[in-house]
Amino acid sequence: MKKQLGFLVDTEKCIGCFTCAMACKNVYHQQKGIAWRQVHPMGESIYPHRERAWLSLACNHCENPVCLEQCPVKAYAKREDGIVVHDQDACIGCGNCVRSCPYGAPKMNPVEKRAEKCSMCWQRIDAGLDPACVHSCPVGALSIADISTARLDGWVQYPAGYPEPKRLNPSTRFKAPRQPREIRRNDA
Amino acid sequence: MNSMELPLVIFTVLSQGAVGLVALTAARQWAADGGGDLSPAPRTAWLTAMALLALGAFAALFHLGHMGGAVRTLANLESAWLSREGLALGATGALLLAGYLSPGLRARGAATAAAALGVAAVLVTSMTYAPAGFPALNNALPGVFFLLTAAVLGPALAAPFLPDAHQPVAMRALRAAMLVSLVINLVVPCVWLSGGTVMRLTGEAFLAAPLYWLRMALLAGSYALARGGRMPAWMLPLLVVQELLGRALFFMLPVHASVNIGNPF
Repeated sequence: MKKQLGFLVDTEKCIGCFTCAMACKNVYHQQKGIAWRQVHPMGESIYPHRERAWLSLACNHCENPVCLEQCPVKAYAKREDGIVVHDQDACIGCGNCVRSCPYGAPKMNPVEKRAEKCSMCWQRIDAGLDPACVHSCPVGALSIADISTARLDGWVQYPAGYPEPKRLNPSTRFKAPRQPREIRRNDA
Repeated sequence: MNSMELPLVIFTVLSQGAVGLVALTAARQWAADGGGDLSPAPRTAWLTAMALLALGAFAALFHLGHMGGAVRTLANLESAWLSREGLALGATGALLLAGYLSPGLRARGAATAAAALGVAAVLVTSMTYAPAGFPALNNALPGVFFLLTAAVLGPALAAPFLPDAHQPVAMRALRAAMLVSLVINLVVPCVWLSGGTVMRLTGEAFLAAPLYWLRMALLAGSYALARGGRMPAWMLPLLVVQELLGRALFFMLPVHASVNIGNPF
């Protein structure tokens, strides 16, 4: 496998504070209602506890990105480090990528009338910095790694509540949330 | 609920109607070469098909955020179905023009080629609207729906151009297509109910939509009233309306996989 940068989402650490989503918004100033990173609460049928667990998701920078495959004007490209970038100047706003991505990563900018999505802050990465979401996470729940070489024991590719279109091979990896320990009177 | 995508509704229905019309006209030209009647001449049918295709393509431009970039949509033929769709429909239009301009009224070659390529173009179009993001549609169903549109609108659009002797054949084809369309459109949402969560939500959205039942009622009513050997004048607009309605629902109601993130799939 070639070099492939991917987000690592530690749902055990994530507290659902949305700081990652806000940091992304602060850097890129998306239009109202548009978010490149979203924090999805896990439903009670997946995580049936009083505590909550969250999936912080942006573009998964798939190995076989369907956005790149289906873009009729080749506005998408995959860098050598695996980041999928979108050239908004080339985009004609057909919406094919928005419909195609099962994770809803590309969004239609209603003002520009062109698609846009998470770029994994490639400019920051090229400058040796972390993406804004990773940089801002107060609990260290987000990080990036080259998943082609990193040791990812204990990390999963398809947690519950996450679409599983295997052909795309999304590069995000997750650590499942810890199950809360139930303390009964006899345990005390 | 998704956007209605009105330009795409108009584009797909008109282009598929054009393909159905061409297929019927081609069949008629073949029959005439076997000694049948080819009057009135099919040139008006060819011209109508071209007009429908052109109107549909024009409508599709309004779907783009930047319609000036439409000429660049052929840039990714190696993997994008939208690029292939543009090529297939463009080639169909060119063959239609060739058929229209062909000397003599029995240009069987152009007719057959245009019909075959038109059907292929419908299938290519269906792949564009079978995206991975919509599990209920990420299969062969868009192709089935689109071919049914061509099968229903083809005989309905061809009937005005057919001689009296061919009217009963067109009516039989129309009734058969309407019946198949009715059954498939009633069965598919029920099948979706037994799929994964997102597919089930799509099935529930269809079965709970009054417009879906209105469309089914229009189709069933048209079928019930399609008696005799000649299509009544009111039937074509009714069939076009129910197809437009069905296509609008096709774009509006399917549930995107990302809607359900965080819940069981």
